Amino acid sequence: MFKSHKRRAFSVAAILMTSALALSACSGGSGAAGGDTASTYDPDEKVTLNLAFWGNDVRAAFYEEAIAAFNEEYPNITVNSSFLGFPEFWEKRQTEAAGGGLPDVMQFDYSYMRQYSENGLLLDLDPYLGNIIDTEPLSENILGIGVVDGVTTGIPTSTNAWAMYQNPKLLDQIGVEAYEGGGSWDDYAEWMQTATDAGEASGIYGGSDWGGRIQNFELQLRAEGSFLFSEDAEPGFDEADLTKFWEESAPLRDGVVIPQQRLEEVYPLAGFDTAQTVSELTWDNFGAAYLGGLGESYTELGLVAPPVTKEGAKDLYLKPSMLHTISAKTEHPEAAATLVNFLINSPEVGAIFGTSRGLPASETQLEGAKLDGLDAQIRDYEESIADRLGDAPPVPIIGAGTLEEKFRQIGTELGFGTMTVDEAVDQFFNEMDVVLNQ
Amino acid sequence: MAGYGFLLPWLIGFLGLTLGPMIYSLYLSFTKYNLFAAPKFVGFDNYIRMFTEDPQYMQSVQITLVYVLVGTPVKLAAALGIAMLLNYRNKGSGFFRSSFYAPSLIGASVSVAIVWRAMFSGGGPVDTSLSFFGINLGGWVGNVALVLPMMILLAVWQFGAPMVIFLAGLKQVPQELYEAAEVDGAGPFRKFRSVTLPMLSSVIFFNLLLETIHAFQVFASAYIISNGSGGPAGMTNFYTVYLYKRGFADGQMGYAAAMAWVLVIVVAIIAFILFRTSNRWVHYAGESK
Repeated sequence: MFKSHKRRAFSVAAILMTSALALSACSGGSGAAGGDTASTYDPDEKVTLNLAFWGNDVRAAFYEEAIAAFNEEYPNITVNSSFLGFPEFWEKRQTEAAGGGLPDVMQFDYSYMRQYSENGLLLDLDPYLGNIIDTEPLSENILGIGVVDGVTTGIPTSTNAWAMYQNPKLLDQIGVEAYEGGGSWDDYAEWMQTATDAGEASGIYGGSDWGGRIQNFELQLRAEGSFLFSEDAEPGFDEADLTKFWEESAPLRDGVVIPQQRLEEVYPLAGFDTAQTVSELTWDNFGAAYLGGLGESYTELGLVAPPVTKEGAKDLYLKPSMLHTISAKTEHPEAAATLVNFLINSPEVGAIFGTSRGLPASETQLEGAKLDGLDAQIRDYEESIADRLGDAPPVPIIGAGTLEEKFRQIGTELGFGTMTVDEAVDQFFNEMDVVLNQ
Repeated sequence: MAGYGFLLPWLIGFLGLTLGPMIYSLYLSFTKYNLFAAPKFVGFDNYIRMFTEDPQYMQSVQITLVYVLVGTPVKLAAALGIAMLLNYRNKGSGFFRSSFYAPSLIGASVSVAIVWRAMFSGGGPVDTSLSFFGINLGGWVGNVALVLPMMILLAVWQFGAPMVIFLAGLKQVPQELYEAAEVDGAGPFRKFRSVTLPMLSSVIFFNLLLETIHAFQVFASAYIISNGSGGPAGMTNFYTVYLYKRGFADGQMGYAAAMAWVLVIVVAIIAFILFRTSNRWVHYAGESK
């Protein structure tokens, strides 16, 4: 009895220990870019493609419709789609990238383009441009976005810009006038205070802490003529800038914005799509997802420009809200390119997605999208900010995604008050050191 | 020779799937490795960074220790208590045994973590019923102070596995010992302290070791309840959750491997200490003392 117990306990312990290790024991290996370039495609070949995207139920339903439309034209290509939330999507891709098994076609984020391209994980699309992938409806600018180190590895589906959403129904309910857009950050803070006071009885807040989003920091840096990161991964700010940014947003966290605890409970949704805040600074293509989250009793949203640090600043920019890429290791590059072309250019897909992926980049798709309601608002918004649009920053540095998430996490700690601004700045620069020297 | 031949299938698995990856991960722990480019040797940098430059790591260690040190004893006490209750009567004990065991079967599953999250959110059943008694705590899930107790509660609730082992141990305690104790005038508490506990000590040791190691590896429930964020304010960012995030989300595999090795060493040390002290308090039947 004694011996068997002891031995059993030991072996169980050994098994459990090794399983902890298993987490960290993944072998490497990366694929070569490019491939055979037969740029024609056999319509009789039966092919199955994997398509991965991030998003929610609303977007998944759109993709299903789009795939159905695709199959009417190409019945021989079966598309298996899968989706995850944004952070999980990238965790899964990292593992697949290391193991060499990326999905054939991916919805892709700008901030990961450099890392995946430079490591040869994405298919060089140049052989397919102009034949399988119709480039006629895509402008030079748009095509240029998906080029890393001279090679096209992604095609933008659409563009978006930083913006402020508002919830007119809730504003009505608490009897507060909508924020007119622009203005100084102080104006916006004051307005949020008014809304929070008015909504106190019904648990409605003016907005959320802008200090938790790196994009707001970028906006302020750009207004001062600086930038977040240069092409060579040099930061365009120092400790003092970041300290100032977080200190200026500190009063917000003192009863003006929605408490962090409420946000934790609805995460990964935000206060805005759970009808707890009346405004939110975010990308302008989030509207459809917000309406989906808010439910049927909400039919319209307000969309205005974010506050501006200095009048006349060129602080905003258009960025690809997402791109489509193909795995370098796909067995069916022609079929995959056909699917990408359909998702980028088809007017039917435009009609299905509207502006929920951003304002369609392709002219044919834009024509197909019957832009009314929110979609038209987004188009008008991107036209209205023309004066504030500056040059887009370079393709984000490797690790940009990690730093953005770190920034968000530190923001939540500031919200809880579990970290001082100085500690927060320290931690972020520490993290930056590690990421930039990776 | 034939012996080794028969051992071969296992040996290949052990070398290829266990020992090999372990040694490789030990190597990785001395490198910078982002999953894409080849690992770059950096000496002890990862270990130094862990203990001197990463406050998040320290916080993660801290909450994991609280979870283990509070959760494990409470869980074992609950398991022993219920096992003793079930040991009293035979009628319907099969039913109760199964129903108390059920949580530990489903407890590690995704669905339970989701249910747990819903139960402890603001306006959820726990909040509502506590409010009914005038205790207004709000939601636990987003509360920095309450989320760790909630996680411990979830662990304690899965006491089924140690309970079944305790129950088997209790059945083995010779009845005549209790009878003899009664003749000597021992009350229920005295019987528990002087008969039950010593006779069960080997089972307690076994459960303690297992549950301690198990608790160090809490992952799924924390990952799901925090939606992978380790929040609020890092209070569910347990050791393995943080390790996973560093490795897979941040692409710092070398650092994650170093974290894994620190965990292995710490767990090994704790197991060693438990074994060393065990001969002072663990009593095995058949031993003469």
